[in-house]
Order: sequence, then structure tokens, then C-alpha cells
Amino acid sequence: MANETEDAPTNSASESHATSADVERNPTDEDKNEKLLNDAVQFLPTDAVKDLLSKEVCLRCIFRLFGMQVPICSSLSVKSLLCHVLGEQADLHQNISSVEPNICRSCLGILQFTYCGDKERVVENESACDFAVAIAELVKKEGHQIDSFSLEVSMPPTILENENKLSLYVKRKYRSEAWFKDRSISECSSTKDALKFALTNPLETLLDVKCGISTFHIRLTYSRVEASIRIQNFVEKIEGCKRRKVDAKNCLDTVKDKSAITGVENSVVSTTEVIPVDEKSSNGLQDNEPSETHEFPLKKVNEPCRLECLCFRTPIYFGGRYLKYSRNVSQTRWIIDEERMGEASIEEIIGGNILPMCRGDSYKFHAAGREDIDVRMLGSGRPFLFEIQNAREVPSELLVKEIESKINSLENKLVRVKNLKIVGSQGWTLMREGEAEKQKQYAALVWISRPLQDEDFQTISSLKETQILQKTPIRVLHRRSPLEREKIINWMKIEKIAGSSQYFLLHMCTQAGTYIKEFVHGDLGRTNPSIGSILGCRAEILQLDVTDVKMNCFLTE
Amino acid sequence: MQDDEEELHKLLLPNVHDLPLTPPSAIDFNFVAYFAPDFLKPGHDQYVYRHANGLCVIGLAPTHVAFKDEGGITAVDFNVGKSDRSGFKVTGKRKKQNAQHFESNTAVCKVCTNNDSYIVRCCVKGSLLEVNNRLIKQPGLLNSSADREGYIAIIMPKPADWLKIKSSLLGLEDYKRKREECFGSS
Repeated sequence: MANETEDAPTNSASESHATSADVERNPTDEDKNEKLLNDAVQFLPTDAVKDLLSKEVCLRCIFRLFGMQVPICSSLSVKSLLCHVLGEQADLHQNISSVEPNICRSCLGILQFTYCGDKERVVENESACDFAVAIAELVKKEGHQIDSFSLEVSMPPTILENENKLSLYVKRKYRSEAWFKDRSISECSSTKDALKFALTNPLETLLDVKCGISTFHIRLTYSRVEASIRIQNFVEKIEGCKRRKVDAKNCLDTVKDKSAITGVENSVVSTTEVIPVDEKSSNGLQDNEPSETHEFPLKKVNEPCRLECLCFRTPIYFGGRYLKYSRNVSQTRWIIDEERMGEASIEEIIGGNILPMCRGDSYKFHAAGREDIDVRMLGSGRPFLFEIQNAREVPSELLVKEIESKINSLENKLVRVKNLKIVGSQGWTLMREGEAEKQKQYAALVWISRPLQDEDFQTISSLKETQILQKTPIRVLHRRSPLEREKIINWMKIEKIAGSSQYFLLHMCTQAGTYIKEFVHGDLGRTNPSIGSILGCRAEILQLDVTDVKMNCFLTE
Repeated sequence: MQDDEEELHKLLLPNVHDLPLTPPSAIDFNFVAYFAPDFLKPGHDQYVYRHANGLCVIGLAPTHVAFKDEGGITAVDFNVGKSDRSGFKVTGKRKKQNAQHFESNTAVCKVCTNNDSYIVRCCVKGSLLEVNNRLIKQPGLLNSSADREGYIAIIMPKPADWLKIKSSLLGLEDYKRKREECFGSS
């Protein structure tokens, strides 16, 4: 995102009643508001307010400028406030809209809850409550089950510039006034905070949950509509001088992307600098300010900002261990030339059962290492992580156990899942931690070109922490760097197979990343030593099974 | 715990009756064998083992004239043509930057016997990925297992180049028939 986003502060000041009815009609809140308003209004300097209104600054921007954080929700309250402010001479029937500017020059209509929505239609909400209702509708439409929400707002950089210009203007004009000296202008809140403050309570009431840190995000992204025209002209200019390497050239590809427009505007088109103002100094002005900051009144605004409202859940993670009983199932979906390799994949079998229960958009599968399609994964299983994007629902512990049972009772018994549960982001670090150092245990069905002898058992068992050198196996040499890798074989053991003199089971424990098949057959002598070279004959591997992945995560508790 | 281990063990043990007397080797299983008899010179029989991933392992076929000399092969020298083939190293996944591009008749090495020396050629047009340096110290590998540890080099041909050369190579059966006299009445 081009602009910064923050979480809204948790508002514990007002009570929220659990009704889906109109927030405004709650009498207790209304009375409270009325009182707060009356108290605050005492301090509002009428002249300054009139002056700012004439400069096309909206009421809420004026309030936030003077540090007023009143939860003004209904238009009724604003009207009465207006009367107080404008004095007794004010016409009580005067419509708010005839006093307030059409679109505020500071907040570009954002705090007037006016924006350009879908299909370029301009939406003008009467109050924060109406706006909140529209947002809540979207959440319900998506079918999200939530227990909290976090509100994020992103605004174009112009907003911050306007805030600073406005603030400076007020400081310079009224710094000698008594009321100005009484309160420090640093009490003024930002447009972003003001918007979040206005929306938080109504949203909490409508959604029936609290606002705070949450996996469920409501993101409001405001962007300037005019910017697209400016970018178009700029782009034409760039295309004219193709030879010149300009930074913005990289943005050409993304010009159509709305979210990039504000970014480009910021770096290339806007010429005014945002100067951090030292709000605590009594003077309020710095010597080295460029002339642009004195630019007041602010530019006239013809169009409101475009608003994109997104609600989504951040990824949730399912961790566990899987076993693979089939020699024809790949770990991940494997398709070559439109043809699937193997009859199924772990990823699809498990993911296909988790995703619908979460009503998510998609999943990403991660595993701690992998095995070939023809290698079974047995024993304690291999740790894995499923990342579910934008889940509409977070399954309960019971439901997760049901998912596990369902997978384990599938007819074809290709895959088994153990210890499935929802894990936090630490599941990620747990899996990646020491993945390279962890040991793996295997059982291989080996054939040698001569009968097994008594000495062979001892020869193999006596080798501990044996170092081998493996050149990149020929079977992967086409897509891997040609390297020579040192690997450790921790221990080995031969298990005789009754009824056969040349076949046996070889159990071994090796360092992660060891190519077991090549260690057995030698890969044309490119893995040294190999079982064949150790036993002094030819050795072939028929079957391989992973019997243990020695890692500490997602184990049975 | 005990039950788990027993269950696991049951899964691991194969059914002895299903096991073939001699299983196919890793080479039989993963490569397709092609032969180039009399490559550029009579008696210079070479093999090309092609892996499913496109890589080609080249070496001396069992009927190569060098094996007929008494004492077999005694030395291998990679210093042929313009450079010492044993010296270079290919790096990186793409293997493009410093790989040497060879034609099918480019010399890869020279094998020597007591009587004579014979040039071994690339056979397949492509990038040379690796030469079997072990042959320098252990030329005897060619006598004992020219089809395995005694391989000469690994080549990576482009798909189009492979198709061109493939038509001029013989499969195992055709090669055996051609060299009937060497294989006897098998």
C-alpha cells in the first residue's frame, strides 16, 4: 500500500448495545452526546469557525483542528452544534449543506462521508452511521463470521499536506488570540484518526463485536480521482522520450493499478513537500519553510476521493503431520503438459477438506521437506502447514478434529493426518527452525549382486556418522546446480528378510538433504561412498520409506 | 507405542514372493539406452544413455575396439582438442554461462591401451556438463564397468538437437543384432 495504515484505538468510552437497529435512536447515547457537545462548544471561537467555513473547510475538520473528539453521529446533533457556533442570529432552519462546503478542501470529503464508489457513482452519506451501515452490509454480504475487527484507513498524501497547511494557517492567524494560547494546537487530531473515531462505535454496534487487534480487517482505501488524469499526461510524456531511464518508467506497467496511482503521484507529480511542523514551539513557524506551505486557501476540490472498501481475514494456519501410504501420490499438485502425475496429491487431499470448512478463498501448502512420489511417508509423519486465505469462518477445535477424522476415513486410505490444529504464526517458525539440521530416518529395500554374508551386518552397523560426498544426482542435474554436497549418515542397520539371500531391509538415519537412492546405487560412482562400494558389489534400491522426521513441531501432546 | 512400531514394521516388510530374482538396475529403470556403432571410425562403438529429464550419459559400448586390445584400457586423457576437458567446471542452475557447447563429433577424451589410443567423441550435440574425472586415476573402471562407473561424460542437448541425432542411433536390440558376432548366440 502506498500510504500507512494503523489499527483503530479500542474505544471503551461508550457502551454499545447489542441491537442491529439504527444507532442514532439510542436515547442514552443521544443525551450523552448532547451534553458533550454543549461542553465542547463553549470553547469554539465563532470567528475562526466562520472563517474556516468560508474557506471551504468542513465542520468535522474544524472540530478535529480544535481537538474536539465528540462522537457526533447524527446530523441532528451537528445541526444543533451549528446553531450554537453561529450564534443566535443563525437561522434555525438553515440546512447544514448550505453552510458546509460541498467537498471539504482539507479532507477532500472524507470526513463528510462522501466518496466515489462503485461504477464512479458519488455517494454522500448523511452521517457516520449511514456510512457504517454500508460497510457493515459488505461484511455481511461476504458471509464473514467474526468476533472482532480491526479498522484500517489509507488516504492519499494530499490529506496530510492539507492538514499541515491548515494547521499552519490557523497558527499564524490566531496565535495572538487568548483562546489559542490556552490550548495547544497539537491537540488537533488527524483526518485519519477522526474518521476512525467516527466509525468505530457505529460499526461495533452494527457488527456486534469490538474493534481492536484482530485477524479480520476492514480496510478503507481512499485515492484521488484526479490523479489518474495527471498520470495519463505524465505517461504520454515518458513514452515520448523512451531512451531516458526514469524511475517512473517502472510504474508504467502498474499505472492501471489504482493503488499505484497514489504512489506515483507522491513521488513524481506532487511538488509540495510535507514539512514536519514543530507543534510545541510557541512561534509555530520555522525559518526554512518553502513558500508552498504558505499556500492558503487550499485548492478547490471538485471531486471526492474514490473509496475502495475491502474486508478480509488475514491468513489462518493449520498445522499437523501427514503420512503417505501410497507410492503413487505426490506431495503437491504435479501437472506436466496438462497431465497429472500420480493419482492424487497430499496438498489437494488435505487442503480440499480444510478449505471448504473455513469458506476461504484459497490455500497455500508448506511442508518440512518432501519425499518423492514413489516414497511412502510413515511413522510419526511429516510436519506441514496450510495457510488459508481470507477464511470466512474460523473452525472450532471440535470442527478441526472432525476435519482430521474425515480425511483419515477416506476410502482409498492414501493419506493420514495427525495432530491437526489451528496454530498461530509461530507454527511457521517452528517448521523452518532447524529444518536443514534435522535428521530423517529411512527404511530401504535393497538388492545386492551377491548373497548377504555375516560380516556385512557388522560392516554396516559399525559405520557411525559417516561422511559421504554426493555430486548432484543425474536425475535432478537438469534443474539443480552441479555441486558436490557433504552429507552425514548417522547410523545404519541391516535387517535380514526371511526367504531371500540378496534382498534386505536397510534402516538408516541421515542428515536432512541426503539423496538416499543415490547413496544405495551410487549414481554411476558420483556418490561416494555408497552401499555398493562399502559392500564391494553392485547394489540397487527397490523401495524407500521415510520412517521418521525428527522434528519437534506438531507432535502428539 | 509398541503397537505403532509393529504396525510400521509390517508395512515395511515386502512380500518375498513378489520380489524378482534380479531387479532392473537403476540405469535400466531410469535411462533409455542408445548406441552409435562405428562412430566416425570403424569399431568405435559408443553408448548414449538418455534420462527422462533429457540428460545424456555417454560412454564406451562393450563392443568398442579398445577392449579388444590385450590388457584393456590403461590410461584416459582428457586433454584433447582445444582444452583439457577435465579442468572446467559448470556452475549454476541454468548452466548456460560457462558451459562448453560441443558438436557431436567433438573430442571428449582419449583412451589408451598398450597398443593404441582411441578418441572418444561427444556423439550428441549439446552442453558438456561433466566429465568423469575418476577415470584419470582409475582407468580400470572402463574395463570393469564401462556402462556404469566407467561412464565418460554427461551432456545436456537441446530438445531439437536430440531429435536430430536420435534418428541415427540404434536401440539395444538393433545394436545387438548388428554386433551379433560379439554377443554370440544370446
